[in-house]
Amino acid sequence: MNNKFLEELVSKHSEELLKWAFHKTSSISMAEDLVQDSFLAAAEKISSFKKESSAKTWIFSILNHKIIDFYRKRASQHISLENDYLSTFFDEDGSWLQEKLPKQWQDEESHLLDNKDFQAILEKCMDALPPKWNTCVKLKYLSEKKGQEICQEIGISPTNFWQVVHRAKLQLRDCIEKKWNQDN
Amino acid sequence: MKKIMHIMLLSCLKATELIEKKYHFHLSIIEKLQLKTHKIICKPCNEYDKQSKIIENSITRNQKNKSMNFDIEQLKKQIITKLETLDV
Repeated sequence: MNNKFLEELVSKHSEELLKWAFHKTSSISMAEDLVQDSFLAAAEKISSFKKESSAKTWIFSILNHKIIDFYRKRASQHISLENDYLSTFFDEDGSWLQEKLPKQWQDEESHLLDNKDFQAILEKCMDALPPKWNTCVKLKYLSEKKGQEICQEIGISPTNFWQVVHRAKLQLRDCIEKKWNQDN
Repeated sequence: MKKIMHIMLLSCLKATELIEKKYHFHLSIIEKLQLKTHKIICKPCNEYDKQSKIIENSITRNQKNKSMNFDIEQLKKQIITKLETLDV
């Protein structure tokens, strides 16, 4: 009976769950793992399911917990906020190092947004970010959440959060500029 | 001279920090003013601000356009097999 119930859940809701997980993680393999884990967790605590609530709501809430756990784990893995990193961009007074001065980009914003090459470079540079930075950046754009909420979800302080984003952005911008000006 | 300027008008390090902070949290009036003045006198940071905005917009757009390719039936089968071995 329980098996039947679970199988029905799998066939009815897997697709929607996967889409949601993908929306939140932007990785298919990650999303598949999360959906699978959610069903396994559901099987284990099937007794906690109350008949009067909707099965869909129940399985979605399990998935949402899995997603938050996933980000929380990733965030706690690498907390590298050494000021060393900033010294690759700024001197001790906080002025730009000569070789890191932001240069003008070739195109206007409207052109860049529609430019496939530019988008490809952006994607590559994002993948090159350290995992934790990547998590913070992705979480922000994917979930369209405010900084405050994201911090609560992955358990870091607001200051820590935007400092991570700051470092990530410095690296992203630098990486894009190198590749973009090289190709054009 | 440089030092005085930094205290009044921020260093480039601080200025870029505020540029990123403003996407996520509100800046105080003083912070806004400092940033604005800094950008008027510092061309590189002004450039940084523009490019930072381009990156923001590109990422948002990029993520929305991402298409999903997956084999949902394969995943369902895989999950059901796993559930059977659990024996609930």
